[in-house]
Amino acid sequence: MSWVQVAVSRSSEDIFDEDADEMYLLQKEWNSTMKKRLKEGYRDGIEAGKELALQEGFNQGYRHGAELMATCGQFRGTLNALLSWCHLNGHDSALSKINNLLDVIGKHEEDVLKYLNSIEQQPDLGHILDSVQDMDLNHTDPAGTEYNEVKAGKHEDVGSSGENICRNNGEVGSLQSECSKAKLCTDSERSTLAWVKKQTTWLVEQLGLSLDILHHVQQLEH
Amino acid sequence: MAAAAASANSDMFDEIVMAEERFHGEGYQEGYAEGSHVGVIEGRRYGSLHGAKIGSEIGSYLGFALTWQCLLQKCTDEKNSKKIRALDSLIGMIQKFPYEDPTYDKLQEDLEKIRGKFKQLVPD
Repeated sequence: MSWVQVAVSRSSEDIFDEDADEMYLLQKEWNSTMKKRLKEGYRDGIEAGKELALQEGFNQGYRHGAELMATCGQFRGTLNALLSWCHLNGHDSALSKINNLLDVIGKHEEDVLKYLNSIEQQPDLGHILDSVQDMDLNHTDPAGTEYNEVKAGKHEDVGSSGENICRNNGEVGSLQSECSKAKLCTDSERSTLAWVKKQTTWLVEQLGLSLDILHHVQQLEH
Repeated sequence: MAAAAASANSDMFDEIVMAEERFHGEGYQEGYAEGSHVGVIEGRRYGSLHGAKIGSEIGSYLGFALTWQCLLQKCTDEKNSKKIRALDSLIGMIQKFPYEDPTYDKLQEDLEKIRGKFKQLVPD
């Protein structure tokens, strides 16, 4: 348009200057109006997008959180039942061990909650699952001195109950090779819940109870 | 002439309205994408913590009830068989309860029922 301006300005410079000011003001007003519309649209869009996505995200997160914590809860409930039973039947020696295991579960539940609160921001579910496994890896390290004591003191027993778990797995899939059974054991040893599972199994054996009472725990995946 | 001018004015008016709508629409699209992203993240966080709370509670009831049921079966007097029947019914309620489904409309109602039943059965 510059050639038009030049052409017009040659003929009547003063008049053009007045028009130019007016044009400039109109342009400015137009720009600010359109900017306002853009902003209004953005605000409306954010609200509409959020409203729908909040519910969708809530549903996804709810399912994930519920399934993850239901497993922890089952361990806690099982240990609480054993605690009550030992109380009622005078097996006082087992009480502190069960309480230790409950502490480990409690700590694990706290960690899961912390993780849900932070990592849940990642929209990729595969990434979330990886993170759970990473987190479990960290937990093979002792969570505290009591945890250490239980682990170190009962090392041999842990080993034997580990073999039991292997045997059970072997029964389920009798075609599995020795190699894959061994791998299954090392994999499951990595998580806190697997460790608690072994300790609980050992405890139930020591109490002279049938391992049937842990049938539901053996089926839990972690 | 007057009619032509009026029509030109109305064309211009239409154009302004259309431009305003277009800008609003562009902003809306951008906002909607951003809102969806933020909403999913926020919703997931709230949802996961809420689900975790209910999952943990229901899981612990189930773990307790299943273990307690097995422990009670060792001694089979009259009093225990009554308790075992009550436990059976509690376990049935929990296993039927879709606690992991946030769209289940009786979630809170069923949870209260299970909670109440569990409190009756827990040994003091």
